[in-house]
Amino acid sequence: MDTKIIFEKSINRSNENFIPKMDIVAKDIAQIIPNSLIRKELPLPNVPEVEIVRHYVNLSNRNYGVDTGMYPLGSCTMKYNPKINEIIGRIPGFSQIHPLQEENQGSLKVLMELSKFLVEITGMEGFTLQPAAGAHGELVGLLIMKKYFEHNKIRKTKIIVPDSAHGTNPASAKMAGFSIIELQSNKQGEVPLDHLEYAMKQGDVAGIMLTNPNTLGVFDRNIKEITRIVHENGGFCYYDGANLNPMLGVCRPGDMGFDIVHLNLHKTFSTPHGGGGPGSGPVGVVETLIPYLPEPCLISNKEGLICVERKSTSIGRIKAFWGNFGIILRAYSYILALGAEGLSKVGRISVLNANYLRNTLKKRYYLPYDRMCKHEFVLSDKGIPNGVTTEDIAKRILDYGMYAPTIYFPLIVNGALMIEPTETETRNNLDRFIDILFKILDEAEENPDILKKAPFNTPIGRLDAVLAARSPKLRE
Amino acid sequence: MDFIPHDDKIIGEMLKNLGLSDLDDLFDDIPKDLIEKQLNIPPGLSEPDLLNKLKTISKENKIYQSSFLGAGNYFHYIPSLVDFVISRSEFYTAYTPYQAEASQGFLQAIYEYQSIISRLTEMDVTNASMYDGSTALAEAAIMSTILTNKNIVVILEGIHPEYIQVVKTYCWGQNIELRIVSQEDLMDNLSEEIASVMLQSPNFFGDIEDVTEISQRIKKSAPNCIIVQIMTDPTCLGVLKPPGLTNIDIFVAEGQSFGICPSFGGPGLGIFTTKQKYLRKIPGRLVGKTKELYGEREGFILTLQAREQHIRREKASSNICTNQALCALSALIYLLSLGSYGLREIAIQNIQKAHYLKERLVEIPGYKILNTKPTYNEFLLKCPDIEKFINELKISDILPPLRISSYYPNMKNVLLVCVTESNSKDSLDTFIRIASKFKVKNVGEL
Repeated sequence: MDTKIIFEKSINRSNENFIPKMDIVAKDIAQIIPNSLIRKELPLPNVPEVEIVRHYVNLSNRNYGVDTGMYPLGSCTMKYNPKINEIIGRIPGFSQIHPLQEENQGSLKVLMELSKFLVEITGMEGFTLQPAAGAHGELVGLLIMKKYFEHNKIRKTKIIVPDSAHGTNPASAKMAGFSIIELQSNKQGEVPLDHLEYAMKQGDVAGIMLTNPNTLGVFDRNIKEITRIVHENGGFCYYDGANLNPMLGVCRPGDMGFDIVHLNLHKTFSTPHGGGGPGSGPVGVVETLIPYLPEPCLISNKEGLICVERKSTSIGRIKAFWGNFGIILRAYSYILALGAEGLSKVGRISVLNANYLRNTLKKRYYLPYDRMCKHEFVLSDKGIPNGVTTEDIAKRILDYGMYAPTIYFPLIVNGALMIEPTETETRNNLDRFIDILFKILDEAEENPDILKKAPFNTPIGRLDAVLAARSPKLRE
Repeated sequence: MDFIPHDDKIIGEMLKNLGLSDLDDLFDDIPKDLIEKQLNIPPGLSEPDLLNKLKTISKENKIYQSSFLGAGNYFHYIPSLVDFVISRSEFYTAYTPYQAEASQGFLQAIYEYQSIISRLTEMDVTNASMYDGSTALAEAAIMSTILTNKNIVVILEGIHPEYIQVVKTYCWGQNIELRIVSQEDLMDNLSEEIASVMLQSPNFFGDIEDVTEISQRIKKSAPNCIIVQIMTDPTCLGVLKPPGLTNIDIFVAEGQSFGICPSFGGPGLGIFTTKQKYLRKIPGRLVGKTKELYGEREGFILTLQAREQHIRREKASSNICTNQALCALSALIYLLSLGSYGLREIAIQNIQKAHYLKERLVEIPGYKILNTKPTYNEFLLKCPDIEKFINELKISDILPPLRISSYYPNMKNVLLVCVTESNSKDSLDTFIRIASKFKVKNVGEL
């Protein structure tokens, strides 16, 4: 296959296909813009249309998506992306609407209605749909905490983050100006209550960032105790919604005692990941924190029209305009399609699928936290023979035509393989994944070299990450 | 509707495999009082019913025949290739390409995006994208404080007001001092204590600044200060001198103009570029070219990840994880579709059409163009009767320009007019005709 860079396909001929015919008598731009402000060269390629199309169709054939096959990437909730959502995202009455135009009640209605649904799903009392991704939502949630304490003249400088947390949690806390107290999980993968209480007693702790079920896929049975301890010591509980999928229609963060929740619409609510975005990371809060939500906030007026409400206590704006509306619209459509009954199946079947895998795979792989999991579970490389590593296993999975789990995360498990099948995989696919993982174990015993040099059946062999970082080549 | 691929028999067998009899047994470890009854959400809809419902809601928005509204979000023609390519579901249903060998297609496309933006801007390095122009600017402010180890950021008036608000929020989060100053006061505010000066050109009011001259002045007074430029419609780079040739250290932009539909303002694309020497502090993901470990073929991989949150946690240069990859792909296909000739031609048409309108509007008694510098595709128009004018435009199926007072309450009766290549002569002439209807009848009214 032709794998040249697109720039090598440039020819010396201009393409006028996409330029409207100039229909006015125009002045020369030299008479409008001073020469000193004008560029002399524009080094963009000129590639014939047919070659652009073929180039990217061929590249797409060298890429694996959920539509290609099972994508068991832990903590990423790679579920099927319904095709109707793509059609809805392209309805001109949404896609061609300017963010500053006045006739916008249709768009505002989508924002209001989705906020109401998310309030009900999470047990929060107010929502902002502004954040563009999960990490952006984390930052917003932490800034809301910060503003609350500032406004009430209470000094709080620290945030508790368990060692099992997503990497974005500590990075976001730092961006909100907090320092981090790392809390070690106990042998069950849960938050040790005595350590938590001790940390909270340090005085200026703003709260805790937690995901439940945690990154081991384990539901923290002491969750009510945890949120009580934090509250009794004047802190807030932040829920990282990356792992909400198994809780859909089963159990709400608000009922667990959380005060702030961010969601990943591109995980739980089926909007496509787009190869790494755009996403959307709405943030929900309890009533006490509603005054601090970012601008703009929406409200219905007496005439039933939706309008912007100004709040002097708001943390301010965190993104231009209204958030990633195109993504918000797809998530709204997903919730409307599923309804209450459909949503409650999501949580239950995602947990069924994960446990089905766990219960079989643990027969031959080491499962450090062996109990009923939720949406995901984590295997370790312990006991894999002949020096075969987690990375080797992941690369070999690619050879068998499936995507690999998340690897080397969470950090608290050595050589972690974090597996999340989601509710949209068939039992046949789950069985095939099990067969592949068992076959790889056989290979590790009989022919470890094949694992160490995998993959072979992918568009390219194993890549040299060290070389890439040592002498970075980031452009043509 | 649901997307569950099991029938009852399969569910029963899977439960039996686990030694359970009911799906709810999977949640035995959750305290009973936390288990949800039914969610208060309406029953699900089938595809046709869902589509009808959303089409109906969309009718509460209005689509106009033509538009004179910009201010950070623009109606440019989108070549057919863009939607075709981003609709390939091998691309849009993929995650961030952690497993490089199974993600070569997207990795190569992002590498090509980094390359084409670097060429367009003449900047050394481009990252794989940020959320949008406003957050890219905020991240540039933070990066400048890391690079200089100083804590004051100066932001020039003329930056999009919503972007200033976003930078304000981010700076407050990190206890960075933010000073908003006019161009006249800039020199008085420069000192060795300044981390960066941030400016927009073409600015929010449409002015094309002489960035070369401004950056020279800044570097003279504060040689170590980082200069950040933002723009909201980078199609102008088809004609205007690129930031890499005007002494800019960090260049950021909103890339919505590059093949991304308005979509009520999001998703857009945060373009982020900088000089080679600042590479190790750039936020966000980077794709690099490398070789096979056990072969000679070249391939692509996420690189320099030691800057990022999943490795560095609280020591990372930013918390960004998910970005706007698919929008970066749109921008790439847009720029390739146009090519060097096309992008230049688009930029020229924007300039010429806006100029055509300006020249005719100033001839109408009572109307005044407030810009004194050259402009790209936006300008400030002072009108004798702004409300009647706006109303009449709407009646003629024209989306009116922005009332600048919605951001600057003191600037009454001023519109921010935007003209792109999408405005036909017909729409320009209609705009002029309607403006004439509300001209000042006798000079005394002025």
